[in-house]
Amino acid sequence: MSQSLRPYLQAVRSSLMAALCLSNFASQTAERHNVPEVEARTSPEVLLTPLTIARNENERVLIEPSINSIRISIKIKQADEIEHILVHKFTRFLTQRAESFFILRRKPIKGYDISFLITNFHTEEMLKHKLVDFIIQFMEEVDKEISEMKLFLNARARFVAESFLTPFD
Amino acid sequence: MANQTPAVVMDNGTGFSKLGFAGNDSPSFVFPTAIATKGPAGGSGGSGSGRPAVANKPSFLTGGAGPTGHLSAKRGTEDLDFFIGDEAINAASGPGYGLHYPIRHGQIENWDHMERFWSNSIFKYLRVEPEDHYFLLTEPPLNPPENRENTAEIFFESFNCAGLYIAVQAVLALAASWTSSKVTDRSLTGTVIDSGDGVTHVIPVAEGYVIGSSIKSIPIAGRDITYFVQSLLRDRGEPDSSLKTAQEIKEEYCYVCPDIVNEFAKYDRDRSRFLKHVMTQPGGRQVTVDVGYERFLAPEIFFNPEIYSSDFLTPLPVVVDGVIQSSPIDVRRGLYKNIVLSGGSTLYKDFGRRLQRDIKQLVDARIRQSELRSGGAKSGGLEVQVITHKRQRHGPWFGGSLLGQTPEFRSYCHTKAEYQEYGPGIVRRFALLGGPGGS
Amino acid sequence: MLLLDYQNVLIQSVLTERFSGAPPVSIDQTVSDFDGVTFHISTPEAKTKIMVSIQIRCFQDLLRYGAEEVLNREYGPYVVPPEPGFDFSIVVDLENLPAEKEARDELVKNISLLKRNAMAAPFEQAYQEYYHLKAEAAKFTSEEAPQDVREGGEVKVIHYREEEAIYVKASHDSVTVIFSTIFREETDRVFGKVFIQEFVDARRRAIQNAPQVLFRNDPPLELQGVPGVKNTGTGGIGYVTFVLYPRHLTPQRMPDVISHIQTFRDYFHYHIKASKAYIHTRMRRRTADFLQVLRRARPDSEEKERKTASGRTFKVGS
Repeated sequence: MSQSLRPYLQAVRSSLMAALCLSNFASQTAERHNVPEVEARTSPEVLLTPLTIARNENERVLIEPSINSIRISIKIKQADEIEHILVHKFTRFLTQRAESFFILRRKPIKGYDISFLITNFHTEEMLKHKLVDFIIQFMEEVDKEISEMKLFLNARARFVAESFLTPFD
Repeated sequence: MANQTPAVVMDNGTGFSKLGFAGNDSPSFVFPTAIATKGPAGGSGGSGSGRPAVANKPSFLTGGAGPTGHLSAKRGTEDLDFFIGDEAINAASGPGYGLHYPIRHGQIENWDHMERFWSNSIFKYLRVEPEDHYFLLTEPPLNPPENRENTAEIFFESFNCAGLYIAVQAVLALAASWTSSKVTDRSLTGTVIDSGDGVTHVIPVAEGYVIGSSIKSIPIAGRDITYFVQSLLRDRGEPDSSLKTAQEIKEEYCYVCPDIVNEFAKYDRDRSRFLKHVMTQPGGRQVTVDVGYERFLAPEIFFNPEIYSSDFLTPLPVVVDGVIQSSPIDVRRGLYKNIVLSGGSTLYKDFGRRLQRDIKQLVDARIRQSELRSGGAKSGGLEVQVITHKRQRHGPWFGGSLLGQTPEFRSYCHTKAEYQEYGPGIVRRFALLGGPGGS
Repeated sequence: MLLLDYQNVLIQSVLTERFSGAPPVSIDQTVSDFDGVTFHISTPEAKTKIMVSIQIRCFQDLLRYGAEEVLNREYGPYVVPPEPGFDFSIVVDLENLPAEKEARDELVKNISLLKRNAMAAPFEQAYQEYYHLKAEAAKFTSEEAPQDVREGGEVKVIHYREEEAIYVKASHDSVTVIFSTIFREETDRVFGKVFIQEFVDARRRAIQNAPQVLFRNDPPLELQGVPGVKNTGTGGIGYVTFVLYPRHLTPQRMPDVISHIQTFRDYFHYHIKASKAYIHTRMRRRTADFLQVLRRARPDSEEKERKTASGRTFKVGS
């Protein structure tokens, strides 16, 4: 783990722990409705100040808390074109399966690669610290996976090129 | 483009995959839906079997390290080292390869294997550039829409295929019956009796849509007939009673008789009905096997299951009648009129004729009873027709080939551009090919 | 599967079966091959006379470069006037097959290479030009060689796909084969770039005797002034150049080199797609991992007692 990764993840973890303080809060604009306020954005008084934690210009996390819901958006490191396309493929693959991921938002917030939406109903039935664990682990693993896929692609390309050219030898 | 590339038609079944090009009258390739990969068969953590590997490792922290270490080890080319179809079966008989069947009960279970199976089918066997061709795939009735989406994801994202259509096998089987001279109107209403190797399905289809709640399946199919022939051979003490012999006898000599008792009598009167089958054993030795009553007894297990099985006792005609009776009342007439056979186990001589007669008897008996009850009212009768045709064996594939070559086929497909616009959810709905509004 | 076959598997299997002495049946099959090639195997006259027809998009190009001679050389006694709608046809009479099994297998093999042989014509011509130019150039020192020898032969253009073409050019010391490639999809373009880069590097790193591979986005010098080459530099078109050196240009190696280089485009695309399939595999596995982690956040699913059919209980570990 590189020097800057640990404090970055630690900062995300503590901010999430603090932000994940949700209560059941009925909508103030529509009767008998209960909507994630952070998405509805109809009552400014229940929204809290959003917070960005950035490791560098390519990697950052946006945490948008509100009274009954919190939105976490992650910008995944993309050093070059290949990583960009791999991140795009992977996040699309994940959002395609958002149904089984409960907290995954089907569409990322603009400027980020993937977003999660945690509501008070999630925190009521799932353990808060485990949810945070999941987010942190996701951030760690996703970087690892992208770089492994990139390595794979390069290795495969080399192998393919060499096997095509060998018969000429 | 003036000269269009023919559409690729792929019918991936539990046992066999049928691949070919639309417009042909038979599939170009028929081989087992099997894939042989490096490593032991069905082993957890085997190459490509992602889910089992995960399920076996409940702790993520160690489990996460496990597969990752595994992956970095196989960054090489293990995923290219596999065989499909007949080659897979050959490879698996030697050391080093394990055999997998990615499709179970008609549905795709292992997507990793299926993706590679398709890749090899396309590039090695069919030799087409998927970007240039439209694809017609089949799915079993009641396939979950998620499976369709996964299929679309693979075909559009991995293979960049030009266009995709996914059709229900039973509907294609109905379309295949249009070649029969008995079929006058090209309707997509009918009952499909699909009997393959493992299971027999009776599927009612109304105007191109499967009536899911009425589908019935029967645990008697090709394999059971083979076993039954084998047990008869064993009972008689024939010199060779291997499954292969039983299968050959089944395919070559079996037929359906109108009445077993009469048929026994006929055999006793006329000795020429007993045949001999010459079988070459693996060693090159030739053995002669007598073929007797099993010629008509074997397929009889569809009509009198009690001679074979003790837990399933409903004859096929009764099941078909029950299926139609449980369908909505306004389509029943159409379902009785167009009973279509599909699959290898429906090929016995006079199978259709016997089925038609038996169903007709059931229907007529019911009509007579209701006439009696109603006190004098006369019924107009009900037409029962079982369609047999030449393309039964690969019915769904042939139906696909037939529809895939129509000029409007491409307009029914979803294209790559549409997929990118709307996402995989687009394949949840397809316009009905060959249905009302079609040609 | 690593390398693609040169021959068409279906033609091969159909003919092998027909030639093995099985009872004659009527055949009518349309078969596709890469690059929009269509074959038609049929028995129009009698069940024993099998006709194989081929339709290639670039057949006019190929004819210009001597495809007719190549095909006549390969299939001489079997050639018949082409079936309507097709470019070239041969008929094999099952009753007049070669007697020996080897010769029959050879014939099957040769027919299944129909596409390869048709496409081989411009390459063969380039080889001949190279031999000629080499002989010419040997008469001069490099400075005083006449213009035409230094410039080499004309560029042969084969528009084998709608948007892509192969260019072949001979000179006195090499034969240059250029593939124009285009990617319609962003992912493919990026993957393609990675692959091409490795093709370019392979010679430097591992296989010194391989042909030199070059890649550029604008048309290479060889193609200047060739009609139909758009000098846009954009639009996703790339040019992959293979330079075949004298060691690849010996008459003995000609058939193999030609077969092999023809498969480049399809090989390249096949492997891009295979890598995507592998990446899908990885993503599936990783997604399953993530789900596993998320599921552990649910307390009830962990602590609930479950019973097996036999009544035993166990806890799902936490």
